[in-house]
Amino acid sequence: MTTDTDLEAEIQRLLAEHDRIAEQGITVQRRDHLIVLGGEVESAQRRDEICKQITAHFPDVQITCDIGITRSQAPSEVEEIS
Amino acid sequence: MIRIAAVGDVHVDKDVVGRYRPALEELPDRADALLVAGDLTRHGTPDEARCFAKEFGALAVPVVVVLGNHDHQSDQQDQVTEVLTDAGITVLESSATVLEIRGHRLGIAGTKGFGGGFAGACASNFGEREMKDFVGTSERYAQALEAALNSVECDALVALTHYAPVPETLVGEPLEIYAFLGCYQLGRAIDAAPTALALHGHAHHGSERGRTPGGVPVRNVAHPVIKQAYNVYQLLSDEVDATLVTANKTGF
Repeated sequence: MTTDTDLEAEIQRLLAEHDRIAEQGITVQRRDHLIVLGGEVESAQRRDEICKQITAHFPDVQITCDIGITRSQAPSEVEEIS
Repeated sequence: MIRIAAVGDVHVDKDVVGRYRPALEELPDRADALLVAGDLTRHGTPDEARCFAKEFGALAVPVVVVLGNHDHQSDQQDQVTEVLTDAGITVLESSATVLEIRGHRLGIAGTKGFGGGFAGACASNFGEREMKDFVGTSERYAQALEAALNSVECDALVALTHYAPVPETLVGEPLEIYAFLGCYQLGRAIDAAPTALALHGHAHHGSERGRTPGGVPVRNVAHPVIKQAYNVYQLLSDEVDATLVTANKTGF
């Protein structure tokens, strides 16, 4: 049984271990009445899958998704290493 | 002068193919080589490796990579390596390569590395067999990196790992997981050779810049950290101010 205390841990493990997610870089933060998801993923499909699977596994948990899609443009600067 | 492009943690699968390619096609105008610091795939399957090879292969510059923990998830890292190698990508694990670039020799030594922690909060080779195995793994990867770094003769030497060699580039991650993100032994290995630059990934919420105890610049190039297709680092600049400590940015 998932208790209130280990909910974040259970969600973190789901995000890492679920075959269709495999994300270790998502933050899970508790607010008064909801769980806030943060971090960045490589595609919109991955972000949507995260929300879908959390809702399916924890139907009583209200989540809000602040997960972004990492930008992939070419850089405009070079750093000189010395 | 040598310019190195670097990124890590790109986690390529079918849904990502095409996202990086426009920026990668610009690489010959921006850098002499591309280094990828592990987590090339999501689950470490040969199919995903083929997606990575399609996206990051057949570029006009050499591509050198190490694997990450995601690339070991399916226990098919050997097949993943084979797919990448067949695509012309150099995969380093406890090994090194030398690239000839405009009369300079760029040495790159790489390993995935492992966790274990840092000064004040690191695992010890003591107690249960499982703990000894854990710490022994950290030490083996670090010793192999040191040997690889010292095996090459070159003008500029770069260490490429997935796990972090210093805690500075983990700032932003929860302190509780530092021991799973890197280990001090990697930093010690980097300092045991004339390393000019150390690149790693793995810490998505970490910080970009740090230095080893010996003063070697460390850059966390995890994609969520650099927030662009790759960063570019310039080595062997003709006009370097040897007293300069902080990073100096210039435009292309």
